[in-house]
Amino acid sequence: MKSGLKSAVFEKFVKIACCIINPSIENWRNNGGRVIGYTCSFVPEELFVAAGLTPFRIRGTGSDQSAGMADDYFEAANICSFVRHCFNKILLGEYNFLDGAVIGGGCDANRHIMDNWQKSPAKPPFLHRLLFPHSSGELMANYFCNQLADIKGKLEEHFDVQITDRKLWDAIKFCNEIRDLQKELYAFRKAENPPITGAETVPVIVAGYSMPKEEYSSDIKTLLDELRSVSAPNSKHRVRLMIVGPGHDDSSMCDIVEDLGGLVVADLTCFGGKVIFGEIKENGLDPLQAIANYQVLDRPFCPKNLGAHPHIHKEIFDKIHDFKVDGVIGQNFLCCETWGGELYILNKELKEAGIPMLRIEREYVADSTGQLTTRVQAFIETISGGTL
Amino acid sequence: MLAGKALGGLCLDPQNASPGPFVLGNGDFFIEIPVAYGCSYSDITLTGANGTAMPDASDLIDKAIETGVESRMCTAIKVACYYLEAGLVRKPDLIITSNSCCDAMDTLGNLLNGYKPWADVPKFIMDAPHSFDEESYKYMGKQLRHAVTFMEDVFGRKMDWDRLREVCVLSNKQDQLLLEFQELKKAVPCPANPDLSRLGFAYDRWTGERVSPQITDWLEQLVSATEERVKAKLGIEGVNEKVRFLWQDLAGSWPPGTLWPRLQQELGAIAIMDYMSYCTLTPIDLTSEEAMFTSFGKRFLLEDPMNRQALHTTDFFCNDILQIVKDFKCDAVIMPAHIGHRDTNSRLKIVRDMCREKDIPCLVLGIDIWDKRYMPPDVVFDRISTFFQTTGLV
Repeated sequence: MKSGLKSAVFEKFVKIACCIINPSIENWRNNGGRVIGYTCSFVPEELFVAAGLTPFRIRGTGSDQSAGMADDYFEAANICSFVRHCFNKILLGEYNFLDGAVIGGGCDANRHIMDNWQKSPAKPPFLHRLLFPHSSGELMANYFCNQLADIKGKLEEHFDVQITDRKLWDAIKFCNEIRDLQKELYAFRKAENPPITGAETVPVIVAGYSMPKEEYSSDIKTLLDELRSVSAPNSKHRVRLMIVGPGHDDSSMCDIVEDLGGLVVADLTCFGGKVIFGEIKENGLDPLQAIANYQVLDRPFCPKNLGAHPHIHKEIFDKIHDFKVDGVIGQNFLCCETWGGELYILNKELKEAGIPMLRIEREYVADSTGQLTTRVQAFIETISGGTL
Repeated sequence: MLAGKALGGLCLDPQNASPGPFVLGNGDFFIEIPVAYGCSYSDITLTGANGTAMPDASDLIDKAIETGVESRMCTAIKVACYYLEAGLVRKPDLIITSNSCCDAMDTLGNLLNGYKPWADVPKFIMDAPHSFDEESYKYMGKQLRHAVTFMEDVFGRKMDWDRLREVCVLSNKQDQLLLEFQELKKAVPCPANPDLSRLGFAYDRWTGERVSPQITDWLEQLVSATEERVKAKLGIEGVNEKVRFLWQDLAGSWPPGTLWPRLQQELGAIAIMDYMSYCTLTPIDLTSEEAMFTSFGKRFLLEDPMNRQALHTTDFFCNDILQIVKDFKCDAVIMPAHIGHRDTNSRLKIVRDMCREKDIPCLVLGIDIWDKRYMPPDVVFDRISTFFQTTGLV
């Protein structure tokens, strides 16, 4: 990733995002802190923060193209490469620093990380599943609340902590503040010449999942101050694009776009916009219910959720308007039916609205960058009406 | 003769099967409800699966691939997506969707719910949790109860609760007969084509005659005829039984008609069980409305084939394998590992390791159970044959 940002804190974020274990986590652990891993954005970090644990979102950063050992457990031709690469890193021992993990049931393959991890030599001392409803409604929110209460009990027992309502409300407030800071970061990208590119935004967001929250909060505030004082050079970008789809824990797609004269100004992705653009209401009696209501009823929806599409449609069209998006890149990993279906529907709707969309099915580890580059280049040329 | 009757029922287009309102879903629904209510219910996934058995299946599948929802999605669901997008499905009066039993069904549900020509069709959405405890049964049961209320509001008439109880009593009787036939299959040699379990289940749940007295007659004849064969120690006609194997997946559209008969005839190998054939149905509890719907919920999550195997943990999946191998005296386990099944393809190592530990020969294939072009039947037969030979089973 080429970057024009001259910022020590940004460089720190880049270093954290491009590996799994990082100095911030090591420092935290050396001082007696504990870390809990999780998959899927529907696992609420607030629960871990309230328990005094640092949440760490599992990703496959740095995994080999073949996903090596994980292909024994997950059939390579038929399982999403994101899951396989995450599990590969687990089997390689790179997540051995975790004191436990909670596996979210976001999709069929993700769900089975739990079963396979349990049977593997890398099994952590605490490993549980959190089941998410696949639809919205009060009944579903209440069911999810019960699941949260169950996980809360297990965390308290295993880690010998008390997760009080007060601690949960404090954690909710704190995580909401972090989301607000991240929204501020995204807001910079509404400008004609943003001081931060799409490729630069990715490590800032990914670092937020990979280091102690207080440290991240302080660091992102520093970065935001720096960005406010930057007079952004005239960007040579020709089109403003939005990325929609799963993952987005690395900047490879943004790099391709931005090397070709595009600028990624927004996203609705599992590591980015789907998590940031929401807020847990801090005005209830029961914090677990507040979290459950947010996850099931309020937050930017996921296509795993039946009936989510109208909400996703609105999110995307609102972002297209707010960020002055010229075109959308919809990317899903091969074997991801949930996003595959969503992008299929979205493609039709964007076409009807006259908004160009490029649909890409790819592997998590971007091995065919040549093909991707060609397709993105053609897309940008089509939108900008000329050759690069 | 019995198989022919069931197959005839299956060929009947369920979309036109019954009078009354037409309810369309993306997967199984608690079928006693529409039967009692007097409306037809069609599962578009089943329509897609049936499409892959048609003479023009290859063309159909190719068109489904061109539809472009997701390139590696299950073929049956791709075909269902194609039918929908091509406007080949009759407009329903109500749509009921759930995420069971897999992500692809979820996707199909989203397509159904978002299908613009049907924007005015009322929709009811359910969540099938990936667990099977009392809380989950009640949760699922409540949703099924709400589905009834929704139907009443949409169609403007109330459910006849006495009729629902009658249908449940009939359903309980039929399920009991399916279980009896299943018990008889434990005999060595297997007294009847084990595929009659699958056909019986399908006939009972998916055809225009679903949960009707005709089904009870059919099942009673099946059980009675099979009991006689057990007493006479007869096996399947024309088959010299040598190997009993568990086909741990759905049967698919081409294996039962192409592969399994050849395995029977040439190797004496019979597919004693598959997902659909494995009956674990417990009686619907009719003691109260809440108990009824809780047992509906339990059936949906735990006992409905494919939901049972796909929604839950690998430990649960493996326990089923061990139980079936033991109860039905299986000599081997064959995992078709259908390419569209994300859950199965996430479990292969654990299953292989378990089988090795328990000394159960296990073969993993990696086929498309709906599109025989992916791995042709001859190739599959050769692989199975080699497997049986190398493990000393034939």
